[in-house]
Amino acid sequence: MSGRNCDEALTNLYQYLDREMDSANSERIRAHLVDCSGCFDIFEFEVRLKVVVRERLSEEVPPAFIERLRAALARESVGDR
Amino acid sequence: MADQANFENDALQYTRQLFSAAMRMTRNPSDAEDLVQETFLKAYRAYHTFEEGTNLKAWLYRILTNTYINNYRKESRRPSEVDLGAVEDLYLYRRIGSEESAEAARTTEDRVLDGLVESDIKQAVEELPENFRIPVLLADLEGFSYKEIAEILDIPIGTVMSRLHRGRKALQRRLWEFAENRGLLPEDAEKP
Repeated sequence: MSGRNCDEALTNLYQYLDREMDSANSERIRAHLVDCSGCFDIFEFEVRLKVVVRERLSEEVPPAFIERLRAALARESVGDR
Repeated sequence: MADQANFENDALQYTRQLFSAAMRMTRNPSDAEDLVQETFLKAYRAYHTFEEGTNLKAWLYRILTNTYINNYRKESRRPSEVDLGAVEDLYLYRRIGSEESAEAARTTEDRVLDGLVESDIKQAVEELPENFRIPVLLADLEGFSYKEIAEILDIPIGTVMSRLHRGRKALQRRLWEFAENRGLLPEDAEKP
């Protein structure tokens, strides 16, 4: 697992995973990942990590807060009239 | 121009996301609630200036972020480059991959990804310096594009990319420490 194609893939790993590459470049990386199991493993790990981070950062909103928020907005809109 | 009468309908669907981000910014539920409420009130008052059909979610995040920076930030503004130190790329993967066999590495990967609990990940994010934390939240929690993050934070796209890159590496280093403390790694795993 080395060489120019690997370097290109790894340099652009985040841009690829963040869907920030144009289609020609991301297609080239996708093709490389089919051929190169070393890079594929890395990309796969980073995707899984991204998902884990996103899922475990999400918070439940306390129901009492929703009530408070709606009440505050209602007061604000009454004040407008 | 957007109609204020539609505000609740249009905007409150983002409450959970804004609250999740606010929790990681302020690091406590009561400040997070106040921050989100203030964000929605400001947004409501300014809703007539919001151009309908444009990116409402990004607009709300811009208000959230500015309100946080102006009113809630407790840490002083620090130069962005200090604090993090040099962290190698693919920090977690490289360390897990130092196992001898692919199967062993795969088992460790699974154990680490399953075993890092919510509080580890939240704490690791909260410990990032703010210049890195906010871009990481906007990208990895919210899925904003680099361009959207640049607009929300009023910084160039190149700066977004470098902060994201460095912030994610620092996050991985901290997650490695949590994994180590939780005993998720094999005994003989290489110490960082």
